[in-house]
Amino acid sequence: MNTSRYIAAAAIGALAATLAACSGGGSAPDDGVVRLTFRQFDPADQIQGLVEAVDTWNSDNPEIQVELETVTPNNPQQFAREANSGSGPDLIHIALADAAFLADPNILLPLDDLMAEQPLENADGLLATEMTVLDGTTWAIPWTADTMALVYREDVLADAGFTETPADWPELLEMAGEITEASGGEVSGWCFSAGAPQNAAQWFPINYYMWNNGFQLIESTDGEWSVGATEAELAQTIDYFNSFFTEGITPTSMQALTDYADPATAAGLDEGTCAMTFMPPAAFRTVQAQIDAQIQTAPMPGGLDDGSTHLGGRALGINQNSEHPDEAWQVMQYLLSAETFGTYDQYPASASTLTELDVDPSEQGFVDQLPHSVPFVRYIGAPMTIASLQELVNQQFSAVYSGQADSATAARSIIETIERELQG
Amino acid sequence: MTTHRKSVQAYLLSAPALVIIALLFLFPSIYNVILAFQELSPFQAPSDGTWVGLGNFRYVFSNPEFGSILTNTVFWLTALTVVLRIVFGLALATTLHSPVLQRWKVRGVARTLVLIPWMVPPVVAVASWRWLLDGNSGVLNQTLVGLGVVDSGIPFLAQTSTVWWSVVAIIVWRELPFVVMVLLAGLQSIPTEQYEAASLDGAGRSRSFRSVTIPNLRPVLTVVVLVTVIQTFNNFVYVWLTTGGGPGTFTAVLATELYSTAFFGNRLGAGAAIGLVMTVIMAVFAVLYMRATRSENQA
Repeated sequence: MNTSRYIAAAAIGALAATLAACSGGGSAPDDGVVRLTFRQFDPADQIQGLVEAVDTWNSDNPEIQVELETVTPNNPQQFAREANSGSGPDLIHIALADAAFLADPNILLPLDDLMAEQPLENADGLLATEMTVLDGTTWAIPWTADTMALVYREDVLADAGFTETPADWPELLEMAGEITEASGGEVSGWCFSAGAPQNAAQWFPINYYMWNNGFQLIESTDGEWSVGATEAELAQTIDYFNSFFTEGITPTSMQALTDYADPATAAGLDEGTCAMTFMPPAAFRTVQAQIDAQIQTAPMPGGLDDGSTHLGGRALGINQNSEHPDEAWQVMQYLLSAETFGTYDQYPASASTLTELDVDPSEQGFVDQLPHSVPFVRYIGAPMTIASLQELVNQQFSAVYSGQADSATAARSIIETIERELQG
Repeated sequence: MTTHRKSVQAYLLSAPALVIIALLFLFPSIYNVILAFQELSPFQAPSDGTWVGLGNFRYVFSNPEFGSILTNTVFWLTALTVVLRIVFGLALATTLHSPVLQRWKVRGVARTLVLIPWMVPPVVAVASWRWLLDGNSGVLNQTLVGLGVVDSGIPFLAQTSTVWWSVVAIIVWRELPFVVMVLLAGLQSIPTEQYEAASLDGAGRSRSFRSVTIPNLRPVLTVVVLVTVIQTFNNFVYVWLTTGGGPGTFTAVLATELYSTAFFGNRLGAGAAIGLVMTVIMAVFAVLYMRATRSENQA
């Protein structure tokens, strides 16, 4: 019996020691060095430049060391759970569209005081601040900017007699149709991932089309949200995108794709069987590196019209629970500087920094379009989330592509669902 | 005093296990029930939920797609795949149990090969099948086009006439080994004397199968059906990774609807309500099923 008691006591002691060691491991070593965690969510193959930038910071600032942490894909809800429980990284990478959800004093540190004490250089030139400054409080700082630009094979267009990319949406349909016809069906004039899943990329050109035609899914008037498009407008939009399938311009296999840089699309560009598609900058670079063919970018149809395309990107925030907010702000200022973008291959969400970049000519489409792009702020703050809107739109457009519904029925379904969701 | 001490000791010895069960099973279940009656966003702290009574359930049932989603879950996802797995599983298990394979000395290899789909992680399995079924470069379409069966590739996962059958094929392929192995174990437990006795009574293969194999496998079949139904009804991975519920909402199921509601719509409470509905459906099924099978066994 005594032996058993000693064994039990030893086990309890070991457990207590283990728990103590685990709890003690979270504290910073007493060497005077501030250690910060910076969590980002882009794929590893897109952040080599960021790694270099962080390494440069760590070399130049031995008293403040940054550990870069990658948690991909983006999971703002995970961060919210951590922050609400008093933990999480010091610096957080935030999709612009998610900033509003994280705008909570239990999650993000309001940055106004830090900005007042240590002003951010060129703060007036920041893009998309309407996504990060809510009710007069700055919850995050826009960091990178992107948009969807037309990606095309110049030689494939030339084979069909075209020297310019389509300037508007009707011209895109017409031009794509002629390219397909001229090739005897061998070339798809326009390729777009038309899958039903929530993350399908068709969401972006669909919104671009709507915005360019003067309507949007939802709108707010004096704080009251309502459907922003008529059934006829939505049906017309659905018919437009469905035309690419009914006219044989886009292969029906695209209805199973979600990613704008799907291997099928990349292969099509490489082989010349896909004349035009759309991508953000990071995906364009990835595909460009993967294929042998030369691809170019141009503004989307109507992309030079203000407010007709979206400005996406990332923002930087400081965890409310960070024990070193001042140091985190210093790091943030560095990450926002032109020095970082000297190695970090992203477009900065700063008009002034953007003008300083040396852009590859093949990416000129992004540069031309960005000044005219606007963030998804028009949908922010509604009882229905952008993610839910995206899912709904992708589902209903897909239902028409696959013959389950006609455009009028799908349009009505979109409106009814939005109305139901807006009621809360 | 001795009896009392032993009683206390028993409770003390059981306490750690009970605590673990409470923490890992009871607490989450209770919290899910609580959550189903609250409005809570994934961006809020759990303590910030507000009570909404039956509001979440009204929201769930007012969805015009709920009926089709439930039908997809019950029939396509669960009933059809379970039946196919039982049928194919029994056929395959019977084959693996056959003395012919033993004579050919390939029984071990055959049984190992059957396990291969089970060894493949579900995510990898889905990715592989998506590649096989790709409308352009998929192996299946390349073969069909090459043989002249079709002129161009069929987007199996994007058209309504083929998508559910494709998903069903993936599920059956990936989950079949479990059924096979359990049924094989059941077959191995049947005394050979019963087959010998049946043979002496003039029973052929089919009669022996009906009179000896099936009755002896009934308990195993009962468990297999129950387990596979519950597991499949709640399954999220296969549909989500394959089609995301599309085309349209043609393959949407309760599990994918739960996920969308909770994490795209930021309605954790409504998601929990869907989860609770699923639990109730499965509980009712389990009770009725066990009662029915118990009655049959007694008869």
